[in-house]
Amino acid sequence: MSAPAPIRLKICMAGEATVGKTSLIRRYVLDEYDDRYIATLGTKITKKVMSVQDPKRAGPVTVHAILWDIMGTPTLRDLLKEAYYHGAEGIFAVADQTRKETLAALDAWARSIRSVAGDIPTFGLVNKKDLDPDPQFAAGEIEAFFEKRGWPWLCTSAKTGVGVEEGFRRLAETILADRPILKPDASGDGPRRPS
Amino acid sequence: MTAFVQPDTAVIVRQRLLENAEDVDALFVLAALHAHDGLVAEGITVLDRVLRLDPAYPGAWRFKATLHRMRGENEAGQSAWDRAEDVEP
Repeated sequence: MSAPAPIRLKICMAGEATVGKTSLIRRYVLDEYDDRYIATLGTKITKKVMSVQDPKRAGPVTVHAILWDIMGTPTLRDLLKEAYYHGAEGIFAVADQTRKETLAALDAWARSIRSVAGDIPTFGLVNKKDLDPDPQFAAGEIEAFFEKRGWPWLCTSAKTGVGVEEGFRRLAETILADRPILKPDASGDGPRRPS
Repeated sequence: MTAFVQPDTAVIVRQRLLENAEDVDALFVLAALHAHDGLVAEGITVLDRVLRLDPAYPGAWRFKATLHRMRGENEAGQSAWDRAEDVEP
C-alpha cells in the first residue's frame, strides 16, 4: 500500500503584540530563540514538514504546515482578516502569562478569524512559562478560560522550548481529526480543504 | 514592575521605510494604515507598489481585493482575488 499523499495545512498565529508568536515559530522550525524583540510587520510565512498521526488512518501522515505569522495589531485586524485568514484550517491563540490582558484578547482574535475561516480548530498557547505569571491571574483562571471555549491548550516557553513541539503536533492532529476526507489535488501537494 | 508599552505600528513603519524605502513588509502595513484612516485609494497605490516588488507577497492580493470592494470596484476586486488564488501557498 502506498504512503498517503502529504496534506497541506494553513495555520495562523493569533494574539496580541509581543506574546511570542514569532518566537514560537522560530523555536519550532529552527530550534532557536533570540531575546531581542523585533515587531512583526505584515506577514511572514514559514513552512514546516511534520509527521503526524492521522486519526482517520491510524498511521502517520506527512503534513506540510504553512505557518502564517501575523502582526498583532488589533486596530488593523478586521481590515486584514480576509487577506490573512482565508483558507486557514487551524489557529494558535497565543497569550502571554505575564500579561493577563492578552488572554481575554484572544476572543476578539478568534472571532475575527472564524468570521472568515469558519469554526476551525483553535489551540491555546500560554507562552513565557519561563517567567513569573501575572499576579492578577486567579488560581485556575487560565484553565477555566480555555475550558469554557472548548479549546485545548498548553503552557509554552519559546525560550526553553517547553511545550512548543507538543503544541504544534496536537493542533495538526486536531485539524486532521476535524477535516473531511478529501481527494488528493492535482498539484502534488496533497489534499486541501476547499476554500 | 515596568508598565508594558505597546509598540506603535505607524512609528515602526516610518522607521523601517526611512531605512529602506522598498521594505515590502513596511509598505504592506502602510497600505493598511492608509485604508484604516479612510484613504483607501492611497492604500491601493501603496499595495500596487508592494505587488510590483513582490508579486507573491502573502495576503497582498486578497487585501487588494478587499480595498477595491470597499471602493465599489467589484471587477477589480474579483480580479485581485483570482490572482490570490494563483499565487498563495
